[in-house]
Amino acid sequence: MGKATVIPFGPQHPVLPEPLHLDLVVQDETVVDVLPQIGFVHRGLEKLVETRDYNQFIYIAERICGICATGHSVGYAETVESLMGVEIPKRAEYLRVIWHELSRVHSHLLWLGLAADAFGFESMFMHCWRLRERVLDLFEKTTGGRVILSVVKVGGVVRDIDATQMAEIVSVLDGIKDDYTKIMNTLLTDTSVKNRTVGVGYLSTEDAQALSMVGPFARASNLPYDVRSFGKGAYGDLADFQPITATEGDCYARVKVRCLEVLQSIEIIKELAAKMPAGDIEVAVKGAPADGAQASNVLEQPRGECYYYARGNGTKNLERMRIRTPTSQNLAGMTVALKGCDLADVNMIILTIDPCISCTER
Amino acid sequence: MTEFSQEFREIALGEVHDVAAERHAAGWRYVQILAVNTEAGVDLVYSYMLDGLLENDVVRALPADAVVPSITDLFLEAFVCENEIHDLYDVAIQDIAIDFGGMFYQLSQKAPMTVVSPEQLAAREKARKVVAAKAAKEAAAKQAPEAVPDTAAPAAGPTEEEIQAKIAGLPPEKAAKVRAAMEAKAKKAAVVPAADEAPAAPKPAGLSEEEIQAKIAGLDPEKAAKVRAALEAKAAKAAKTEGKGE
Repeated sequence: MGKATVIPFGPQHPVLPEPLHLDLVVQDETVVDVLPQIGFVHRGLEKLVETRDYNQFIYIAERICGICATGHSVGYAETVESLMGVEIPKRAEYLRVIWHELSRVHSHLLWLGLAADAFGFESMFMHCWRLRERVLDLFEKTTGGRVILSVVKVGGVVRDIDATQMAEIVSVLDGIKDDYTKIMNTLLTDTSVKNRTVGVGYLSTEDAQALSMVGPFARASNLPYDVRSFGKGAYGDLADFQPITATEGDCYARVKVRCLEVLQSIEIIKELAAKMPAGDIEVAVKGAPADGAQASNVLEQPRGECYYYARGNGTKNLERMRIRTPTSQNLAGMTVALKGCDLADVNMIILTIDPCISCTER
Repeated sequence: MTEFSQEFREIALGEVHDVAAERHAAGWRYVQILAVNTEAGVDLVYSYMLDGLLENDVVRALPADAVVPSITDLFLEAFVCENEIHDLYDVAIQDIAIDFGGMFYQLSQKAPMTVVSPEQLAAREKARKVVAAKAAKEAAAKQAPEAVPDTAAPAAGPTEEEIQAKIAGLPPEKAAKVRAAMEAKAKKAAVVPAADEAPAAPKPAGLSEEEIQAKIAGLDPEKAAKVRAALEAKAAKAAKTEGKGE
């Protein structure tokens, strides 16, 4: 083995849309150790609970990240509702899950496009983003926004989806499903894709479990942990929900899990659209969280389990709001997956982990 | 489906590592660590999950010189939260497996999450007053049937001695400002009765025609022309309004 050399990777790098830094300790062409670092653009959003009341803070929560915006607003609202003992109408729960699952579809399609672009499959990038646009069109039709939807509030949602719009969503998703299945099959059977991903960036089930990994990263290592399986809200009304897993634990498995999760989300939306209950979409929430009251919550974001915590102080402003994002939980696993890989595979491994630094630098 | 539930329980600082070791041995997942800045000191909340049960172990009010044992020897992934708490709350954490030594976040201010903003102070003060008022109201409601209501008595404000005592507790600069404001208020109060007695003083007249012309003469020719045009337009408008009124 040659002499160990430290190669800095990021925070500015063509494969990284956001600032993440890795010190790669390399011997010959093999990565033998990795030290990750974030914190270049920490925004201190959690401290804004001091100047925004619990109703206003939802707009901050959904601006933590453009891709996970809906999930953050749902996670935050659920936590405050738990803190104040508020029960929202069933229809609002269904609407939240439908928008959240649409967000998962758009997030995974965005990721798939970026990943395809990274390994030189540029036409695949175009196709994935073309389909993603159709999801964004659905957002625009039902909420008025394409990225930041602002439809979730503490106590329910601010907009309803009527039967006509619901039928349109189902029809558009059927169309997307047909196109997407062709794209997915092309991607998963392509020799070049397999050459770049099979057996690369391996993480064992034991490591995934020991490092408390979350999201598709963990499920690709055969760890069947998915917060949706707790059956919170409308997820509890699904006929059957089984987390999608793979046993290989490599980059290919992570691609496959995300690809299949798009189809799973489409099926969830269609099932909930068919079961949509009638009724109100919000309840009035009055008063303030009690002094010292605290609540915690978890939500399955596109990148995995996200933790939320809120503590009240007797006023409309929360004493503390905390969000632990899936990427910060997966940083330790990322270092393990990178150890032993070729230097040329580092960018592919990072992309298949799909880190969201915007969320992490909340 | 596994049901989701959450629990909070308090533990002592000395138990942090032992509890983590017990949970690690029992197969709990590490979820996160967070800190809350309180008046009594920083609280820490350690969260673990097993079979849908999210348990939060709360360590209350860390002393300023407390040293928290790291749990990264058991859960390596906790290095992110531990470095974050060190940088944002200045909590000393011992033996972090990947220790950035205060350089995890690029911050312009040390321990920014421990800074109590004026908004937060005001909110806390307001919350205290609300609680005190509620307690007083409840106490009064309990005593009401026994006491004779005295509706004629107006609510008394703070006495002069109480005000002076409060001012003495303020920083010198703020105390001087408060005293000046009080003096100005007293002067104004002294003038108002006189104004009440005398007939309303005529509204102070604006500049005379001569003064206006003198001012315009001092302007540069272009601006002077514009001002004259504006004055003429204003006069014409006033004349028109008067004509309509008649």
